[in-house]
Amino acid sequence: MLQNIAIGQYVPGTSFLHRADPRSKMLFIILFAILVFLANNVITYAILIAFTVMTVMLSRLSLAYILKSLRPVWILVLFTVILHVLITKGGEVYFQWGWFSIEEKGVTQAIFISLRVSLLVLVSSLLTLTTSPIDLTEGLERLLGPFGRIGVPVHEIALMMSIALRFIPTLMEETDKIIKAQTARGANFTSGNLIRRAQNLIPIVIPLFISAFRRAEELALAMEARGYRGGVGRTRLRTLTMSWRDGSIALAACVLLLVIGWWRT
Amino acid sequence: MQITFEEVSHVYGVGTPFERLALQDVSINIPSGSFVGIIGQTGSGKSTLIQHVNGLLQPTKGTIRLGDVTVTPTRKLPHESRRNIGLVFQYPEHQLFEETVAKDVAFGPLNFDMPPEMAELRVREALEIVGLDYQEMKDRSPFLLSGGQMRRVAIAGVLAMQPKVLILDEPTAGLDPAGRKAILEAIYRIHREQSLTTLLVTHSMEEAARYADRLIVMAGGKVMLEGKPDEVFAQADTLRELALDVPETVSLISQLNRKLPEEQRLPSSVYREEELISHLLARISDRGER
Ligand SMILES: Nc1ncnc2c1ncn2[C@@H]1O[C@H](COP(=O)(O)OP(=O)(O)O)[C@@H](O)[C@H]1O
Ligand SMILES: [Mg+2]
Repeated sequence: MLQNIAIGQYVPGTSFLHRADPRSKMLFIILFAILVFLANNVITYAILIAFTVMTVMLSRLSLAYILKSLRPVWILVLFTVILHVLITKGGEVYFQWGWFSIEEKGVTQAIFISLRVSLLVLVSSLLTLTTSPIDLTEGLERLLGPFGRIGVPVHEIALMMSIALRFIPTLMEETDKIIKAQTARGANFTSGNLIRRAQNLIPIVIPLFISAFRRAEELALAMEARGYRGGVGRTRLRTLTMSWRDGSIALAACVLLLVIGWWRT
Repeated sequence: MQITFEEVSHVYGVGTPFERLALQDVSINIPSGSFVGIIGQTGSGKSTLIQHVNGLLQPTKGTIRLGDVTVTPTRKLPHESRRNIGLVFQYPEHQLFEETVAKDVAFGPLNFDMPPEMAELRVREALEIVGLDYQEMKDRSPFLLSGGQMRRVAIAGVLAMQPKVLILDEPTAGLDPAGRKAILEAIYRIHREQSLTTLLVTHSMEEAARYADRLIVMAGGKVMLEGKPDEVFAQADTLRELALDVPETVSLISQLNRKLPEEQRLPSSVYREEELISHLLARISDRGER
């Protein structure tokens, strides 16, 4: 029932992107975000689109699946497009009907904004699609490492993130199971007015909270039982290492930066 | 209620990288009034199979007939039919949510528009079936009960709908032996008293042997064996290949039979513990008299 909601859920694999170091992927996304906002004409956007398509191919995931898994985002994009087309005015008037008009600026804005959001979301979803939660948090912890010296609890932040990521699929499964169990007892979640529908959620929300608390307690106990006491002096089973892949990502980043810098107006 | 599956397949996550064939061309026929044990390793598709029986999952392919209702990939089970088919999930105590035991058990009956007085009667009956005292339990919070008691309350929540088909997904998982026996005995009693059609998912051969009059053995999303328990137990080799064991009683019978001369062999139909004991006792006293 809930199978299609997981945005950017990790899909195990062995592609170039799967094997690249999470740190280089994260740094690259930051750079890419900057580039997306630097791009301001047809050529630079075309370059970014071409590059994004290439990255998707490097992940060996089907574009159709990625696009489908990002469905909630597309609804948002569609909404902004409509808003811009209707509200932003200026330039040539394409269509006029009383006070209502569609004008050049509105259309170009809509196109650029939706392109920006789409490219950003696509590329960043590739990070979570191709990086396991463990690698993701370890990469984050290492990247944030320097901030630890000024008192930022980096290890704890990373741990919180990894626990959250780890339990998203579990809680979704749990939700699915509870919905089914209550449906089997005749619960109906799709009828009635708004208040009625909110009330209908109680049989799902309460068991879900209880199970989340129970899991949290069990996890805390299990961690303590195994002697966990924070990040200081902790060694790792697997350490991240950079490879030629990360070199090529860095190279691609430099090239992209130069090209966009050159062509933008 | 007769339950028939015709070439039913189910695929989870169609069109995603997580696509998974969980049921493959399953054809079974469960006569009305039978007690069916569904056995198989974890991941063999047992839970997927039973969720088709009350329409929580729809087949990707194939047809399911429940009495005179038909479910196909495009035709859903109507809401009212759910009432006739009670499904107790694995760890059903995780679905409790009400303030009091009585309210929680009444959730099902009230959802199917039963008048409140009638629902209360059903709640009382259902709690008594699972061996809980109505007066003592009704106003207690379900969350302050012991694990075994919570399980019973949850099972009562399904029984209170008075289904004609009762499906239980590993109802004894994680309970102590006494708790297991109490729950299974209660289920068996109500199965006979109300002539239910009962499907019991378990991975214990002992439990299956004790209560079921038909067995379905699953592996890798397929039905590997189906039939009367003694017929299924006769396929000891196949069972062993599927990493399932025959019940202790059956292996005792076959070990004894290996020692006994042809004409004195024990029949394979006495696989139930009590029956085997009384059969053996009768033999021994026979011999004493001779
Ligand atoms: N909601 C789901 N989404 C995707 N795959 C599932 C889901 N539920 C079960 N599966 C898969 O289907 C197969 C059969 O599972 P299940 O019916 O739960 O087996 P059993 O109850 O015998 O342990 C397993 O491989 C399992 O991973
Ligand atoms: Mg199961």
